[in-house]
Amino acid sequence: MVQLTTDNSYGTWRFCAWNGMIFMGVFIVFWGIMGHNVPPYGGDMDASVIANYFRDNANLVRLGMAISMTFAVSYAVWGISIGKVMDYILGRDHILTNLQVWGAGLTVVPILVSSSFWLTGSYRPEALPDEILQLLYDMAWLLIDLAYSVTSVQMIALGVGCLRDKRAQPFFPKWVCWYSIWVGFMFVAEILMPMFKSGAFARQGILNFWIEFMIFFIYAPIITFYQLKAIKRIEAGEPAA
Amino acid sequence: MSDEQSALQQSGRAPGDPGVWFFIIADMAMFAIFFLIFMAGRHEAPELYRASQAHLDSRFGLANTLILLTSGACMAKAVMMARAGDVAITLRYLLLTLGIGLLFGVSKVMEYGTKFAAGIAINTNEFFGYYFAFTGIHFLHWIIGCGVLTVLIRRVRRSGVNAENINWIESGGIYWHMVDLLWVMLFAMIYLLPPGGTA
Repeated sequence: MVQLTTDNSYGTWRFCAWNGMIFMGVFIVFWGIMGHNVPPYGGDMDASVIANYFRDNANLVRLGMAISMTFAVSYAVWGISIGKVMDYILGRDHILTNLQVWGAGLTVVPILVSSSFWLTGSYRPEALPDEILQLLYDMAWLLIDLAYSVTSVQMIALGVGCLRDKRAQPFFPKWVCWYSIWVGFMFVAEILMPMFKSGAFARQGILNFWIEFMIFFIYAPIITFYQLKAIKRIEAGEPAA
Repeated sequence: MSDEQSALQQSGRAPGDPGVWFFIIADMAMFAIFFLIFMAGRHEAPELYRASQAHLDSRFGLANTLILLTSGACMAKAVMMARAGDVAITLRYLLLTLGIGLLFGVSKVMEYGTKFAAGIAINTNEFFGYYFAFTGIHFLHWIIGCGVLTVLIRRVRRSGVNAENINWIESGGIYWHMVDLLWVMLFAMIYLLPPGGTA
C-alpha cells in the first residue's frame, strides 16, 4: 500500500495548482508583451537597436521585469502542488516527485536572474554604452534559453512518474505524460542557440523561439487542467494507487 | 503472416503503448518542421547548398542507412519472437539490434571527425548549420534508442517475454523504427537531393 500524504488542505493545493496559470499569464503579458520579448530582437541585430529598445521602452521594461520577477516563484508553487498529486501516484517522498519539485523550483532561478538582466538594462540605459546594453540583452537570452535542463528535469520526472499510475483512469492520461517527456526532451534544441545569430535555431528563430516557447506555453494549461481534476478526485476520497 | 500478427490486426490495436504513439507523432512533426526549414533554405540559396553538399561523403550516409535498416529488421524479428513467446531468440535479436545499431554511432563519429578535420563546423554556413543541428538531434535520438534497447535486453533477461515486456518491446521497436525512418529522410534530403530541384 502506498503511503499517503497526511496533508488534506485541498483548497491550498488547488490555489497552488492555479499558480501555474498565474505564472503563464504574467510571463506572457509582463515578460513577453511588456518586455518586448515576443519575439526577441535578433542575435544578428546591431548594438544600437538593442540600446534603443532599452532607452525607448525603459519604463515598460522596468515594470514588466519587476512584475515577472515577483511572480517567477509561482512556477515553484505550482510544481509543489503537482508533487502533492504525484504523492498519490507514487507514494510519499518518491525520487521522481522530488525531481519534479526541484526541477520546478530551480526553474525560478534563471527566470529571476535573466529578468534582472533586462531590468538592469532598462534601469539607466541613457548612461550606458550600446555594447553594454547589448551584452545585458545577450546574457538574459542566453541564460533563459540555456537553463532549459532544469525545467526538463521537472517535465521528464512528471511524465515518467505519472506513467506509473496504475488506476483504470489515471490522474494524468498517458498522452499527457508522454507530452511532458517530449517537451522536456525537445528543449535540448536550445543547446544549439549560442551557435547561431540568425536562422531557425537563433534566439528569435522559428525553432528555438516560436516552437519551443509555444510548446512550453501550452504545457502549463494542460498539466493544470488534469492536476485540478486529480485534486478533485483525491478530495472525493479516491485512494492511492 | 503469423498467428500473433493476425491477432493484432484483428484486434485493431496499434502495437505498443498508445501513449508512445503520441511521443512518436509529436517528434516526427518536429522533424517535419526541420525538413521544411531545410527545404526553404535550399530553395533560397541553391548554390550554397550545392557547394556545401559536395563536401558530404554519401558513403557514410549510405552506410548509416544500411546499418539502421538492418538493425530495424532485427528489431522487427525481436517483436515477432517476443509475441511468439521465444525468450532466447527474442534476446538474440535484441542483442543484434543493439550491436548493429551501435555501428551507427561509430560511423557518425567518424563522419563528424572528417568534417572537423576539414575545418567544417556548425557555424561554417547555413547548410552545415542545419546539417550538424538536424543530424545531431537525430544522433541524440539514437543514443536514447540504445538506452531503450539496453533496458529491453535487461527486462527480457530478468523476466522473459510476459505481456508487460511484449508491450515494452513493441514500444521500443516503434521508437527504433522512428530513428530509422528519420535517418532515411535526413539521408535523402541532406546527402542526395540535388539543390535547385535539378537532377
